Amino acid sequence: MLGLLKRFRDLLLVAALLVVPLAVFFAHAKRPTERSKLDRAVVSLTAPVERGVAWVVGSALEGWRGYVSLRGVRERAVELSRRVNELELGRLEMERLEKENDRLRKLLGFAEREGDLELVGARVVGVRLDPKGLQLVTVDRGADDGLQRMMPVVAPEGVVGRVHAVTRHTADVLLLVDRNSSVAARVERSRARANVRGLGDPYTCRLDYALRSDDLVEDDVLVTSGTDGVFPRGLPVGKVRNLKKQGQGLYQKADVAPAVDVTKLEEVLVVVGGGDRRADPEPEPAAPVPSAAQGAKPAAPVPSAAQAAKPAVPVPSAPQPAKPAAAAPSAPQPAKRAAPVPSAPQAANPASAAAGEVP
Amino acid sequence: MRAILFILLALALAALQAASLRWVGGGAFSLALPLVVVVHLGLTAPSVEGAVTAAGVGYVVDLMTGGPKGLMTFLAVGLYLFSRLAGASVDVNGRAGFAVLTTLGVFLFGAATLGMIGLVSPAEVAPAGRLLGRVGTEAVATGLASVFLQPLLRRIDRFFTREDPGMLR
Repeated sequence: MLGLLKRFRDLLLVAALLVVPLAVFFAHAKRPTERSKLDRAVVSLTAPVERGVAWVVGSALEGWRGYVSLRGVRERAVELSRRVNELELGRLEMERLEKENDRLRKLLGFAEREGDLELVGARVVGVRLDPKGLQLVTVDRGADDGLQRMMPVVAPEGVVGRVHAVTRHTADVLLLVDRNSSVAARVERSRARANVRGLGDPYTCRLDYALRSDDLVEDDVLVTSGTDGVFPRGLPVGKVRNLKKQGQGLYQKADVAPAVDVTKLEEVLVVVGGGDRRADPEPEPAAPVPSAAQGAKPAAPVPSAAQAAKPAVPVPSAPQPAKPAAAAPSAPQPAKRAAPVPSAPQAANPASAAAGEVP
Repeated sequence: MRAILFILLALALAALQAASLRWVGGGAFSLALPLVVVVHLGLTAPSVEGAVTAAGVGYVVDLMTGGPKGLMTFLAVGLYLFSRLAGASVDVNGRAGFAVLTTLGVFLFGAATLGMIGLVSPAEVAPAGRLLGRVGTEAVATGLASVFLQPLLRRIDRFFTREDPGMLR
């Protein structure tokens, strides 16, 4: 028996290694047992390996992601940067369109308010606010669109200027702030009459011919009186600033802050017709009498509303000296102006005659 | 000593595959790297030593799988015998042969596991035949990995093999 066991020892051992685990399996299969201390000790041996592998793999992956895989990142960054720039441009374009939409809405609102005027919308395509020359902006409407010289140009905020020169497709607008511009105005609150003249400064005009006795206070709103034959009445011109009431003299002095910031103009409206409100309801001053000093033809009377489109007073280009017979003298020389006959109380105020003239 | 080293190697491989599969595939497929050791034992180890070592590796697999104790030990010894039988019948000492034998052995090991668990489990929880697909995938993946493990196993074998003096190679 012992010899038999010795002879088949290996075989029996292998068989035991097969049978015992199988018996253990069947014994525990229906009733699982907890791990023994030995089991737990053996399993715990794997923890350092797993942690080590996790650390190695994690570090390797981190290194890969942090360095090796960054190989095309620069190109991607450039691409993304380009895309960001495109989107930013798109956003700016949308903002611009939104603002333009707001402005056009205001223009539309103005056009609807001034329903009796024939208006042509125009876009500012050029700006020439050169202190050495005229304060002009160029708009994208011209003679083909019905624009003519001396036509008033307005914005929702108020008076912009008037058409100075036209080509077929564009027109130059002489701004209110130009030294050669002058608008007959009225204080909205007290209805006192005056004249607003540009100084060549985009932010300031001068108030001329405001009688010392007139009711005028700081921040009074000036509107067009319509007596210059160019602008419809009632359009905002600006606000009175730096009012100085002197103890002597006929007039009080003041600056005017223009209602329209001409440095931010983008769209304007050109009044090409209509405007039965141009004439002020008050009586027109009598025809001017020629000045003896000038000895020439009298200064052109203020044209009627119907004549506004073709004013009697031509507007030569600024640098050229005007012929005294055809044009009224420039504003800084009011003494040479043909004095209107004071047939009416308001006629003593030369504002209505001086307005709307360019040397 | 050799048996202990192989068992520790199987333990390390079990831990390595558990850690690796967390990063590779995340469990979409599995590996049975400790069984490569058993297949290698079947080709190189004598009966008693091989069977004992295989039982030790089976014990490790038992612990790692968390199933009823004894099943993996039994099947590991069975895999050892199958490998020994196959190694005696055909030449599987090359890399390709070793990989094929490992694939086949691991597949049979997995199929037998499913069958045995099915024997002792209620019908509703018994593993279905559709798990054979995963077992096949595991077998193929393990067979591929065995190609890289075989040199390591042979290197360990050399520590315990005394060459006869004067023998020409």
